[in-house]
Amino acid sequence: MTNRIFKRICQNKASLSGFVLVALFALVALFAPVLAPVHNVNNPYQLPQSSYSITPQPPSAEHIFGTTEQQYDLYYGVVWGTRLAFKIGITVTFFAFLIGLFLGSAAAYFGGVIDEVIMRFTDVVFAVPSLVLAMVIAAMLGPDIQNMMIALTAVAWPSYARLVRGDVLSVKQRDFVTASRALGARGPRLLLKHILPNSIYPSIVVASLDIGYIVLTAASLSFLGLGAQPGTADWGQLIAMARNWVLGDGTNTFAYWYTVAVPGGVIFLFVLGWNLLGDGFRDILDPRQG
Amino acid sequence: MKNPVEIKNLYKAYPRRGAWLWGKAEEKTVLRDVTLQVGAREIVGLVGESGCGKTTLAKVLLGLEKYQSGSVQVQGLELKNLSKAGFKKLRRQVQVVFQDPYSSLDPRQTVRQILCEPWDIHGLHKEKNEREKALHSLMRAVGLDPVYLDRWPHEFSGGQRQRIAIARALALEPQLLVADEPVSALDVSVQAQILNLLKDISRTRALGMLFISHDFAVARFLCDRIAVMYQGQILEVAPTEELLQNPQHPYTEALLSAVPVPDPHMQKARQPVAIKTDNKRAASWCPYAPRCRYYAAAQCNRALPPETKTKEHFCACVLLPFQKEKSRYAV
Repeated sequence: MTNRIFKRICQNKASLSGFVLVALFALVALFAPVLAPVHNVNNPYQLPQSSYSITPQPPSAEHIFGTTEQQYDLYYGVVWGTRLAFKIGITVTFFAFLIGLFLGSAAAYFGGVIDEVIMRFTDVVFAVPSLVLAMVIAAMLGPDIQNMMIALTAVAWPSYARLVRGDVLSVKQRDFVTASRALGARGPRLLLKHILPNSIYPSIVVASLDIGYIVLTAASLSFLGLGAQPGTADWGQLIAMARNWVLGDGTNTFAYWYTVAVPGGVIFLFVLGWNLLGDGFRDILDPRQG
Repeated sequence: MKNPVEIKNLYKAYPRRGAWLWGKAEEKTVLRDVTLQVGAREIVGLVGESGCGKTTLAKVLLGLEKYQSGSVQVQGLELKNLSKAGFKKLRRQVQVVFQDPYSSLDPRQTVRQILCEPWDIHGLHKEKNEREKALHSLMRAVGLDPVYLDRWPHEFSGGQRQRIAIARALALEPQLLVADEPVSALDVSVQAQILNLLKDISRTRALGMLFISHDFAVARFLCDRIAVMYQGQILEVAPTEELLQNPQHPYTEALLSAVPVPDPHMQKARQPVAIKTDNKRAASWCPYAPRCRYYAAAQCNRALPPETKTKEHFCACVLLPFQKEKSRYAV
């Protein structure tokens, strides 16, 4: 199965480039301490600051991506930001997936009142624009990376709940589930051994597409000052620090281009990579494609 | 001795949900006044068109569906208000084989996992060697080589999958097998193999069977008795040959006339019973009245007279039954 998926990924140029992008980012995240040696042992995500001068400095031998406002090193920010992006993306998606899986399968399996209550609650969460809801929750909890992850999880789970519910409802009707019931299997066994293994694949595809989107939303929250604190190696935070320099110095619009282009480009590539990979997964796991 | 399966005046309805919140709960009757027995080692066929309630009856018999009134007893175990322990006990009495072998086996389990599941649930054959031995004998009993134990369902053909499904049903050594159209999804060439297998198994294992089908030829080969069902009611029950040679109910007659004969000349000469539906005809209880070609308003509204039944042959019609016999004796 895994072998077959890998083979199919390599056959398609788009999904292959997605895979390569994500793999590169994963390597960067893995070897972050080697690529950018930690300077503050207590908090490796703290950006090194070479001086307190406010004007960003262009790329140089010492700072290969340049520095942003207050002389924070962009290269260090990109490298450790990759690790943070994986941490946020994977943790949030994992917990959102878990909550969605639990609520969706409970709704579908028990049906009736439980189904109505869970799904109407899901509808309510869906009805509020997710970024606005995440902002409200993050603002209530206070600006902090962990709180931001909680806020993102709180808005990401409903799509999984819906997806899982639909799949469980259809698998529940299949004959092998009835056969298992006729053999004497009850609730937990039916759900864990027969229904869930046959209904989680679509959600896994959505999860792989979601990781990029979650990182993007996290960057938006950081940009709005609701996520990582100034000085954190977070891509959204790096863009936030570039806010005053986007328009250049008055005569040359692109005077400080690197303050925006470096973190912006990295986010772009990261999200693109996950989207291409997720699309590849979807094509592979779609039964109509054989 | 009491029959392994005794169904008496079974009545079942599904609730039909009306409009959201304010809708009045309605009911749709799916089984009405069903009475049927399956004796030890007896294969009873249940024949009827799709949607007539055959599968629902099977599910009731398996204890998977509740019913409103009447009584269903399997080996003396009353299925109404079954306790958890009783439900588990019933599992070892009745097992089921489904129609479609492509959906009745979990695609993410190997044959070994599929066959071990019943033993895991009931805590049987726990010792490793003993389990292995039991697995092998189970595989051989359904005509499969035990080397296939670690394969996945998608590696098998339809007939082989149906054999696996039969093996799973036999794992708990039930007294009764409910076979819900077990061959209608298979190639005709494979059907014969599976039918022979079922016949062998019922003989060697002293198994009673409720065999659901819509194919008279298949039912004729396998069954000792055949029950004909229409819209949730059993209209005629008789020993197989008696039913086919001497059908009494207008519906059975119509069904048999629709079975094609594999001889073009004979087939052309035959006149299938035309079925027109006239919904203005409503009989008090006969579901077939709107389509019946013998319909007679005065008589069809009467209650069912007791003489609709001879010792072995039951026919739920007030008009026709046993007229031929009666006239034969009259002459």
